[in-house]
Amino acid sequence: MLINYKIKTKYNDVFDITDKVKKAVCESGVKEGICLVYNPHSTAGLAVYSPWDPKGFKDLDEEIRRLIPTRIDFKHQHDTPQDAAGHVKSAILGISGNFIIHEGELLIGGSQAIYFLEFDGPRNREFYVKVQAD
Amino acid sequence: MDSFINPMCAQVFSLPELIKEQYDDLEPKVRTVLSFQEIYNVQRIILTGCGDSYAAAMATKYAFEMLAGIPTEVVSAIELSRFYCQEQLGIDCRNPLVIAISHSGEVARIKEAVQRVSHFGCFVLGVTGNEQSSLGLQSDRILKLDIPDFESAPGTRSYAVSVMALLLLAVRFGEVRHRYPMDQAMDYRIDMRNQGNLLKDLLPAMDKASKKVAEEWKDFPCYDFIGSGFDYATAWFGQAKILEATGKFAMHINAEEWFHLNFFARDAGHLGTIIIGNTTSPGLSRTKEVIKYATRLGRPLVVITDGTKKDFAKEAVFIQVPSPKYPINMPLTHFTPVCLIAGYISALIGEKYGRGCEGNWEFSKDGAGVKNSEIIIKTQEDIC
Repeated sequence: MLINYKIKTKYNDVFDITDKVKKAVCESGVKEGICLVYNPHSTAGLAVYSPWDPKGFKDLDEEIRRLIPTRIDFKHQHDTPQDAAGHVKSAILGISGNFIIHEGELLIGGSQAIYFLEFDGPRNREFYVKVQAD
Repeated sequence: MDSFINPMCAQVFSLPELIKEQYDDLEPKVRTVLSFQEIYNVQRIILTGCGDSYAAAMATKYAFEMLAGIPTEVVSAIELSRFYCQEQLGIDCRNPLVIAISHSGEVARIKEAVQRVSHFGCFVLGVTGNEQSSLGLQSDRILKLDIPDFESAPGTRSYAVSVMALLLLAVRFGEVRHRYPMDQAMDYRIDMRNQGNLLKDLLPAMDKASKKVAEEWKDFPCYDFIGSGFDYATAWFGQAKILEATGKFAMHINAEEWFHLNFFARDAGHLGTIIIGNTTSPGLSRTKEVIKYATRLGRPLVVITDGTKKDFAKEAVFIQVPSPKYPINMPLTHFTPVCLIAGYISALIGEKYGRGCEGNWEFSKDGAGVKNSEIIIKTQEDIC
C-alpha cells in the first residue's frame, strides 16, 4: 500500500507527521511488516526526534543551520542561497526512514516522533508512506 | 487599403506572443546574470536610460523597492553623467548598482553615464540588445535582450521587453535576498508571463475604442497624459509616442501637478486628455479628481484602466487593460492603448514616424541625434 500526503510547511518548519504515518499503518491492515516514509524533495529532510520539549525543535533547527549555514558563496546559484543550503541539508540528513510494524502498529519509542524537516518554506510539500507486509 | 493599418499598431498586436517568448528567453538569463554575492552586495540601485528606456526605468522603480527592498532611484542619463554627486558613487563596495538600459547600447549619454559611474567604482549592469556596443563593453555584466526583428515603428516591442527585463530582475533580487519564498517568486513570474494572454483577450475591444478615439481626435493640436506612480511611466511613454508617431505636441504630468499646471491650458475642447487610472494605484483618489475637473472643463477624455466605467462614475471613453494578479506587472501591458491611439492618428493624418528623418529632421537619421554627441566625463571638481 502506498499513500501520498500533502502538507503546507512554514519557513524552516519542523512538521510532525507521526499521526499520519500511524494512521496509514493502521488502515493498511498489515500486522507484521515494514513501513517506509519517503520525502520526494531535495530541500527538505526526514528525521526522528523527541516531541516532548518544544524548545528542542529550536535546538534542532539552530544546530542544522549552524552546521550548514545559508551562505551566498554556494556554487549552486540557480535559485536562492536558502535553496542551495537546503539541498546540502537534505543530502546530509536524508529524506526517508524505515520503521517496523509489529502487531498492527508502528513500532516507535515513547520519545520518538517522525518529522518532515522543511529547509526552505513556506512551501506546498508532500510525502509518501509505503507499507509492506512480511 | 485600410487607412488604419500601420507598423506601430502591428507591433502592439504582436505583443501577446512576444511577452511569452521573451519571458522564456529572459527568465533563465536573469537567474545567472548576477551572483548571490553580487545581489547581496547591492545597497542602492540607480536605474538609468534615455527615451523609452527612461520610461521603463520609471515603470519598474517601485517594483525594485517593493520586491527587493532596495532603495532605487531613476536618474536620467544626462543627470547621472553630468550632475550626479560623485561622493555618492562607488561607495560601500561598488554601490550603487547602476542598471543602464539601452537597446542599441550606443546612445551617447548612456555611454557617458556608464563611463563616469564606472570610473568612480559603481557596479554596472547593462540591459542591451548589443553586447559589442559601448554599453555592452563598459558594463560589468550584461543582460542581453534578443528581440526578434519587426517592421520599424516608434518603440513598442522594445519597451515591453525592457520593462519585462527590469521586472524579472526585481523579482530575482527579492527572491535571492529571501524577501519571499521561491514559490512566491514563481507566482510573480507566472503572472508576468500570463499578461500576454490577458492582453490578447482585451486587444479587440481596445483596438476598436482606440480607432474611434483616433478618428475623433486626429485633428487636435495637443494631447495631455496624466498618471501617478506606475501610471506616470505610462503617461510619460504616451506623450513620447504621440510626439514620435504624429509630431504633435504632447504633455505629461502626474495627477497632483495637473492641478498646479496643466488644467490651465486653454481650448480644452480640443485638448485630447488621456488619464492612466489603475484601480490599485495609491494615487487613485487624486486621479478621480482629475477626471472630475477635466470633465467639467469639457476636455475630450480617455481613461486607461484595469477597472471599468463603474469605478469612476464619470463620462469618458474607458479603455480596459489587463488586471494582473500582482500590480507590479501592470506596466507590461498598460501602455498598449497609447501606442494604438498614436499609431492610428499617425496613419489617419498621413504623418511619417519621426518625420521620416527628412528635411530639417535629417540630422536625426539612424539615431544620429542621440548617438553622435561629445562625450565628457565629469568629476565633482568640474561641477563645483
